[in-house]
Amino acid sequence: MSRSSSSTRREFLKTAGASVAIPYIITSAALGNADRPAASDRIVMGGIGVGNMGSGDQGAFLGRGDVQYVAVCDVRKGVREAAKGRADKHYQNSDCREYNDFRELLARDDIDAVHVATPDHWHAIMVIDACRQGKDVYCQKPETRTLREGPLMVAAARRYARVVSGGSQRVLEDYRGIVDKCWSGSLGPIKSINVNVGPLSQICNLPAEPTPADIDWDMWLGPAPWAPYNKARCDGNFGTGGGSWRSYVDYSGGGMTDWGAHHFGGATFAVDVREMQPVEVQYHDDKEGKYVTLHYPNGIVISHNRPKFENLQVEGTPGETRAPKPVPSYKGQGGIYGDFIECVKTREKPFRDIELAVNTIAVSHLAIIAYQLQRSLKWDSATQQFPGDAEANRLLDRTRREPWQV
Amino acid sequence: MLDQAFEALKTYNWGADVKALDPISEAVVKTHGDEKGRLDLENRLAAVLTSGASRDAKDYVCRQLVVAGSKASVPTLAGLLSDKELSHMARYALERNQAAEAGQALRDALPKASGAIKIGVISSLGVRKDAESVSALGKLLGDSDAAVARAAAHALGDIRTPEAAKALSEAKPAAEAKLAVADARLACAESMLAHGKKAEALAVYKSLSGQDQPKQVRLAATRGMLAGASK
Repeated sequence: MSRSSSSTRREFLKTAGASVAIPYIITSAALGNADRPAASDRIVMGGIGVGNMGSGDQGAFLGRGDVQYVAVCDVRKGVREAAKGRADKHYQNSDCREYNDFRELLARDDIDAVHVATPDHWHAIMVIDACRQGKDVYCQKPETRTLREGPLMVAAARRYARVVSGGSQRVLEDYRGIVDKCWSGSLGPIKSINVNVGPLSQICNLPAEPTPADIDWDMWLGPAPWAPYNKARCDGNFGTGGGSWRSYVDYSGGGMTDWGAHHFGGATFAVDVREMQPVEVQYHDDKEGKYVTLHYPNGIVISHNRPKFENLQVEGTPGETRAPKPVPSYKGQGGIYGDFIECVKTREKPFRDIELAVNTIAVSHLAIIAYQLQRSLKWDSATQQFPGDAEANRLLDRTRREPWQV
Repeated sequence: MLDQAFEALKTYNWGADVKALDPISEAVVKTHGDEKGRLDLENRLAAVLTSGASRDAKDYVCRQLVVAGSKASVPTLAGLLSDKELSHMARYALERNQAAEAGQALRDALPKASGAIKIGVISSLGVRKDAESVSALGKLLGDSDAAVARAAAHALGDIRTPEAAKALSEAKPAAEAKLAVADARLACAESMLAHGKKAEALAVYKSLSGQDQPKQVRLAATRGMLAGASK
C-alpha cells in the first residue's frame, strides 16, 4: 500500500516497537497468512449508513481478507448496533466502534477508507468531508442529489488524490450484453440509446408521527428541509411510490436517479459517452406522450421514456461496422468492491470513478429539470450552467439546512 | 383552480394532500416568459409568507419562489432570515435568486445572525460566490464559534477571488478551523492555476506544505506544486 495514513501507521508501529513493550500475545489473525495480509497491511474501513444497501456493502467489505472493518455510523441506534454486531461476529471480538455522527468517524486517523450508503441528500457532504480528512470513499449510487454537487465531489477527490468510487455494480454486470455489442463495432456508429425509468420524486407532506427514541431525527434530515418524523418519509426500502425516502424530492430524485443511476450508467457506458455530459436536453410533449432526449457533443442521443422504445434499445447504423474497442472492466478481484479496494492499494481510478458516476447522474438531473420546467434546455458542462437561462440555473442545487454546507 | 389552491394553502399542514396545491406549481411553469403573470403570482406567494399560514404552507411557498422569485419577493424573504423555523426556507428561495437585492439581503442578515442561522447565511453567500461579502466573511475566520469560522472559510473557498484568497492567507484560524481554511486556500490555488496565476498558486501551495499541516493537506499542496510546475 502506498497510502500515507497507512505508512504512518506502520511507522508508528516501528517506532513504538523500539520504546514500548510488545504484547506477549499477538494473534495469528493479526500476523496474517497466505490468504490474509497482516493487520498493518489491511485497509482499515468504516461504514456510514449501514442499513439496507449499507449492510450489503458492509458485508462485502467484511468478507475481504485485505480489509479490517473497524467502525460503523448510523443515526438509527438499532441499525448501528446490528452493524457493529455483524463486524464483531465476523472478527470474533468487540472492537468495532459505533458512531451517531459521521464527523467523529471521519476524524479517526487510523481509518483509510469509508463506504457511504446514507439517503442521497447526505452523499455530497460526506464524500467531500471524507476527502478533506484524507479518506478514500466507496459511495452508493446515486452519488449526487443535485447538479452542483457533482463537480464539488470530483474536485475534492482530485484535490486530495483520493480514490472515490460510485456504487452501481449493474453498469458493468447487468448490461454487459449490450455493452459488448456496442463496443464490438458490429452495430456500426451508434446514433442513440433509450432508457425507460422513473418516476420522478415528489414533495412529501406526510403527517407527523411520534419520533422513535432510537433515531436522531435532526441528523437524519441533515441538510434537507425540516419536516416531522413519519416512518414512510425515512424508510429505506427500495420503492419509489411513496413509502420510502426514495420517493421524495428532499432526499432523492426518485426512480429517475435511483434506478436511473443503473440504467443511464449502462446506457452511457454502452454508447461510450461516460466521460462527457449532454449539451442539450430536448423536451417533447406530443400525442405520443412526454419524453426527453439528451444530446451529446459527439452527436449521440440518449432518450428517456421514448414512446415505443425498449429500455436500452440501441440505434446503430445498419450495414456499417466500426473498429472494435476493448471493454473496460474492474480491477482486482471481487466485483465492484474488489475494484475499489484494488484501487485503494494501487491509487488507480476505479471503474466507477466519481467523475464518471457524476456524469451519469447528471443525465438524470438534467432530464428532471427539463420535465419540471416543461421545456428544452441548453447545457454547458464546462461552466455547469444552463447558458442564458436564469430560471433553470436556480435548479442546479437545493439549499442546505443550516449548519450543513458543501 | 389557482384560487382554490391558494385557498387550500390557508389550512395546509403536514398530512394535507399536496396535490391540492398543484395548480400553484403549474402556474409557476406556465408563467415562464410572462412577466406580469409571473409577478402577480410571486406577489400572491409572498403574501402567504406574512400571513398566519402554517410553517408547512410557507415551506411550500418558498419552494415555488426558487423559480418564481425576483427582487419583488426579496424583502419578504429577508424578513424571515432571522426566523429560526423559516430561515432555511427563506435562504432556499433567495440563494440562487440572481437579483442583486437577494445578495444584499443575505449580507445585511449576516451581522445580525448567530449560531446555525449565521452559518446558513454564510453558506448561501458562498454558493452565490458573493464577492461583496469577502470582507465580512474574512473577519469571521477568527470567530470564537469554530463552526462559524469553518463555514466562513468554505464560503471564501467558494468565492475564490484574489481578495478571498488574501483573507484566507492572512487568517490565524483556531485549531478547529485550520483544516477548513487549508481546504479553502487549496481551492483558491486551483483557481489561480486555472487563471494562469502560477506564482501566486505556488506560493499558496508552498505555505501549505509544512509539517504544521495535516498530511492530506501536505499531499494536496505537493501535488499542486507539481501541477503548477508542469504548466
